[in-house]
Amino acid sequence: MIHLTSLSGLASPARLVGLASALAIACATAASAQETGAVTIGRTSDADRYDPHRSTALAAAEVLYMVGDTLVTLSHDLKTVEPALAESWEVSEDGLTYTFKLKEGVTYCDGKPFTANDVVGNMNRWLTPDGPYVSAWKAGEVDSVTAPDDLTVVYKLKSPSSGLLFQMAQFNFVMIDPGQAEALGEDFGVTAFNGTGPFCFESWTPNDSVVLTRHDGYDWGTEALGSTGPAAVEQVVWKIIPEEATLVASLQAGEIDGTYSLPSWAFAQFEADPSIELLQPEASFRTHYVGMKVTRPFMQDIKVREAVSHAIDQAAIAEAIFFGTVEPAESYYAADALDYDPSTDTSPFGYDPDATSALLEEAGFTKGDDGFWQKDGEKLALTYYGFNTSREQAEAIQGDLRKAGIDLTVELYDSTAIWAKLREQTYDLYQMDYPYLNAGDALNLYFSSASVPSPNRMMWEDAKTDELLAAGNSAVNEDARAEAFMALGKHLHEAILWKPLLLEKPTVAIGPRLAPFQPAGISGAAFGTGLGLALK
Amino acid sequence: MMARLLRRAVVSVIVLAGVLLIGFLMLQVIPADPAVAIAGPQGTDAEIDAIRRHLGLDQPVMLQFVWYIERVLAGDFGRSVINNAPVFGELIRAIGPTIELMFAAMIWAVPAGLGLGIMAALRRGGLIDRAVMAVSVMGVSVPVFWVGLLMIQFAAQTRLFPVQGRGGPLWTLDGLTHIILPATALGLILIGPVARMTRTTLSDSLHADHVRTARAKGASETRVIVHHALRTALLPIITLLGLQIGTLMGGAVVTETIFSWPGVGRLAVGSIISGDYPMAQGAIIFLASAFVLVNIAVDVLNELADPRIGAHP
Repeated sequence: MIHLTSLSGLASPARLVGLASALAIACATAASAQETGAVTIGRTSDADRYDPHRSTALAAAEVLYMVGDTLVTLSHDLKTVEPALAESWEVSEDGLTYTFKLKEGVTYCDGKPFTANDVVGNMNRWLTPDGPYVSAWKAGEVDSVTAPDDLTVVYKLKSPSSGLLFQMAQFNFVMIDPGQAEALGEDFGVTAFNGTGPFCFESWTPNDSVVLTRHDGYDWGTEALGSTGPAAVEQVVWKIIPEEATLVASLQAGEIDGTYSLPSWAFAQFEADPSIELLQPEASFRTHYVGMKVTRPFMQDIKVREAVSHAIDQAAIAEAIFFGTVEPAESYYAADALDYDPSTDTSPFGYDPDATSALLEEAGFTKGDDGFWQKDGEKLALTYYGFNTSREQAEAIQGDLRKAGIDLTVELYDSTAIWAKLREQTYDLYQMDYPYLNAGDALNLYFSSASVPSPNRMMWEDAKTDELLAAGNSAVNEDARAEAFMALGKHLHEAILWKPLLLEKPTVAIGPRLAPFQPAGISGAAFGTGLGLALK
Repeated sequence: MMARLLRRAVVSVIVLAGVLLIGFLMLQVIPADPAVAIAGPQGTDAEIDAIRRHLGLDQPVMLQFVWYIERVLAGDFGRSVINNAPVFGELIRAIGPTIELMFAAMIWAVPAGLGLGIMAALRRGGLIDRAVMAVSVMGVSVPVFWVGLLMIQFAAQTRLFPVQGRGGPLWTLDGLTHIILPATALGLILIGPVARMTRTTLSDSLHADHVRTARAKGASETRVIVHHALRTALLPIITLLGLQIGTLMGGAVVTETIFSWPGVGRLAVGSIISGDYPMAQGAIIFLASAFVLVNIAVDVLNELADPRIGAHP
């Protein structure tokens, strides 16, 4: 604010002209931010493309949920499957056949009706053998997908998949226009995307912005999706701001209306700013963990794995690095996730440096003159791979382990390089985080023998794990599924394959123009379908 | 002069060929695999293999390089492996905002640097001289990202200027307000070198014979400085400016990233981060070519301004 008393020192004409220009510019800036009907959401990175069958990026999910619909969705607590494009469904007793009844009157943005044949086209494209498509495992072992009539889809599996309906709420199941995908080829999801969602894909400037406009005819939403529709805002602009500090400043300056790519250091600033509100979904699961490769010489011994686990103080990391914005984790997946067994023994995952010493002594290690544990003349020295964006976490872990007498070499890589580096298999420990919907989702991907060497980077090959996974996946009722996954969860926690670090929920920060809403929890895309967005 | 320029052009072509080779090899050597990046953390071996085949990455590196050279010579920089956009088109789209930003930085920083340098030269050894030199040392040593972030914080608090993005062409109010912060941050890189060079060359020419003669003939002090001393001092300053274009381009990469300015620098950084190697290669070659061409242009301008440069190789 410029105080009147300070104007006396600005009396020269040139200065007054300068001041007037600055004020004019300030007014123009403020005015441009007040354009009605458009909401600007900031984020730090863009998607590779907006094609649900070809992208794994969260940035793709954020837009795809707005421009397309899935057949089903999940309740806010992520525990119940709810209707979306399908108004109802039946599952055969053997768990192999799912029959979906689609809603009537659903249309794509170009006005074309959405029919069961489009669902067939979607699945045929996604499941093309040797195609450049990703995450097809989420669809289960599909035998056939057929459309007996325009509003009925029969989805047949070769083997039961108890988690299929939950997976169908993920963004890879967002229904595309198969005809458009074929016509556009490599340009599909880049130059255009014809969907049935609450917003239509207007334009994409890679690494700059995605512009979505309201799908005016949209009225097939539900409460779980945010509203019945149409959307309350006319336009949503997803703006890429790569630098976190600039993103934070943009929200404070009113240039964007919301974001959830928040650096931890910004939380305190936002909490102190009355013009900014922080919102969290009822349930959304993302766990940070340190994976342990069980085929490495030292890590083969479960006592060493437990010793490493006890040496790392996750509560201190949550407090010192994340300023208390995340919770310390003591299990591989959240205790309030579906099919988590509350009787799981999480005692190996607490911070207890005395237990580290006792376990290493039991395992035959002795303390060397250099302060590090050793066995048969070999120092207990481990190699750790992590992301260069998690440097502070890596340093804290290195400090904890060295304090406990375990030497740790930290190697940090860029997000483009780490996946290839992990495939070289030269690590003992690696740090990662992952989103999941429930215990079955978490367990299926990372622990089965079939997922060795990637994404089962612990190289955990275990018959009992595979057996219980198969039992959980092929369960045809909820009790049988829960029983198998709970037993598997306990078994894997006993094996000490990960050191759970942190449990993170996305936090959405919104500016003064946007009304508070219930953030979504599926796939970590907190703005969900955009149906909940409204200007004050 | 023609022979000298021809020699310079041949050397430039060799430099560009080297850039092409290094740009290609660098992205092959770093452990980033676009197929693995696209498949993401949950990618299975089969998925990664399929993506690699689809992108042609399963072919031998030498073969990929030969294809690449063939395409570049035909003016085709390929397509992004991420979004299939033609690389050349993306570069052309991004070069405008980069030139705009560099131009806006120079338009205030060059006169400011000249002014400071003149003030320092006229009061050599005095308080103003020392202050100007301190400012110019700061301009050279303070990293542009730090200055940029300070400016963003200031702008976010005062809401005087937009903190990110490009608002449109420069002649619109929105365009003008958006460029003020990035151009100010980037221009700071130039002030120091220009001020120092102006101070040094002007101090020398103020004691030259022709300046003494002009004073003896009764010319006013302003006329002596502007018409006689500064004119002869300008040539090394122009040369310096040409060389600073490279520094400015480097600074633009950082500035564009901080201020979300949609130029070539941000395109290069974004494509390296996302493992989009055709786009990264294109951006690197584009920036290197611009640097080489600017250097040739500076040589030509120097020779036109002072034929003695070409006469004594």
